[in-house]
Amino acid sequence: MTLISLDLQSRSGKTLAKLDVDSEDTVGQLKKKFHAVNKKYYPARQRMTLPAKEGQKSGEVLKDSAKLSEYGLSSGSVVLFKDLGTQIDYSTVFFFEYFGPLVIYPLFFFLPQIFYPGQKALPLDQRPLVQKIAVAYWMFHYAKRIFETYFVHTFGHATMPIKNLFKNCSYYYGFAAFVAYFVNHPAYTAPDETLSLVCFALAMVCQFSNFRCHTILSNLRAPGETAYKIPSGFLFNYITCANYTAEIWGWILFTIGTHTIAAGLFTAAGAFQMAEWARGKHKRLQKLFDGKDGRQKYPKRWVMFPPLL
Amino acid sequence: MQQAVDIPLKISQSAALLEVVHSAIGLVKSPVAITAMQVASRIWCLWGIVVPCAATVIPQGLLTAGQQAALGLPGWANINFITLMTAWACSEVIRYGFFALKEAFGTPPYFATWLRYTAFMVLYPLGVSSELTMAWRALPDIKARGLFSSTLPNSWNWGFDYHLVCVLVMATYIPGLPQLYGYMLTQRKKVLGGGAAKPKAKAA
Repeated sequence: MTLISLDLQSRSGKTLAKLDVDSEDTVGQLKKKFHAVNKKYYPARQRMTLPAKEGQKSGEVLKDSAKLSEYGLSSGSVVLFKDLGTQIDYSTVFFFEYFGPLVIYPLFFFLPQIFYPGQKALPLDQRPLVQKIAVAYWMFHYAKRIFETYFVHTFGHATMPIKNLFKNCSYYYGFAAFVAYFVNHPAYTAPDETLSLVCFALAMVCQFSNFRCHTILSNLRAPGETAYKIPSGFLFNYITCANYTAEIWGWILFTIGTHTIAAGLFTAAGAFQMAEWARGKHKRLQKLFDGKDGRQKYPKRWVMFPPLL
Repeated sequence: MQQAVDIPLKISQSAALLEVVHSAIGLVKSPVAITAMQVASRIWCLWGIVVPCAATVIPQGLLTAGQQAALGLPGWANINFITLMTAWACSEVIRYGFFALKEAFGTPPYFATWLRYTAFMVLYPLGVSSELTMAWRALPDIKARGLFSSTLPNSWNWGFDYHLVCVLVMATYIPGLPQLYGYMLTQRKKVLGGGAAKPKAKAA
């Protein structure tokens, strides 16, 4: 229990505030103190780091849950502040990302007179079976994602910069319109009906697999735990990011079931991004679980998509 | 003139794709997005406009062949194609000349650095206006020929209106040019803004 006075500075060395805290306080409490001094910078927007040491490009980032004493901070210590910009909840971003496609795709199915002006569209009951299955599957997929956002996922970070909201929504809304336009087009050519039915049945299996993967991941940590754990059970025994495997296969089956190139491009774009994330996660887990000093050794597993990755 | 530049132009501009690769794998410091934007626009202009629509865009640009001759301008190609070649060629010579000197001598002569971070102020607008003019000339031809386009119905339900895509690409130049130009201006300030004294001292 030592009272210390910290010198909070901007990157350019200007003192922003002198904060009186207890050395046993957490970084999170320090951030709350600064927020009280400067109403603009709510804690989620604050990044605090130690000054860079010799040879470092930038100093160590202070974790919210850690105590100030863990970083060797004492009276007069300098802590550097960075504004992360307007932040938005992960769950809020996810909601808007997924709500768009949920609404946009069916618009093309139900309102052809608006989206295909001047073209004769079949009345709803005469539409090819696959168009009806596709719209139902698409809406189920995004409703499932919204459900998972609020009831399944546990987020490693609470917020992200707000410009991600616009970037992500552009991606999801853009592709939703792109795929919906072609699948629901009046000049749509349906593939063999049996093929479509088989593909969508398998795709639903993928949806349930993906859901199971998500529940396994969310149960890895007890509430409050922040440590990384090795996922196991179900497909995780063989693949690090088994949830992505199921997701990608779901979209591949959607593409084959609808015989639509636009869906294929959407699948490829998603797979590309997921591969990047999966590689990062796989590397991180391998590095953390190196088998030394009593730590587990990360088992040999596929990254995301056997036999390619 | 077209015959003279044809092959070297195609090879050198296509080779520019490597620049994006080098930037992506971290071999060079340039940001991938900026490099990709630059290379993409040149590749599109060359392979998507000039090559497929050569018969339409080379003889005439903003001015028809007749108008050009009346003004006493050279007759081997339309003035916009000439400015396009000039802008691209000058940019590449200056840039690669700068890189080559940097590799050979460690620090390039100040003149090369100055040129590399100043010439863009004229060459960017010149290049962009030339690229857009060529595209604008090609549009009716693209539409009439249904170039690179496919229509529904087909078994994989793919439709592609290249004419529309070209219009959209041209529209992206509106936010694109300020971004690229702004990036070069910031680079210029960073590299040249340090003052003439530094590079002279280094060269000595």
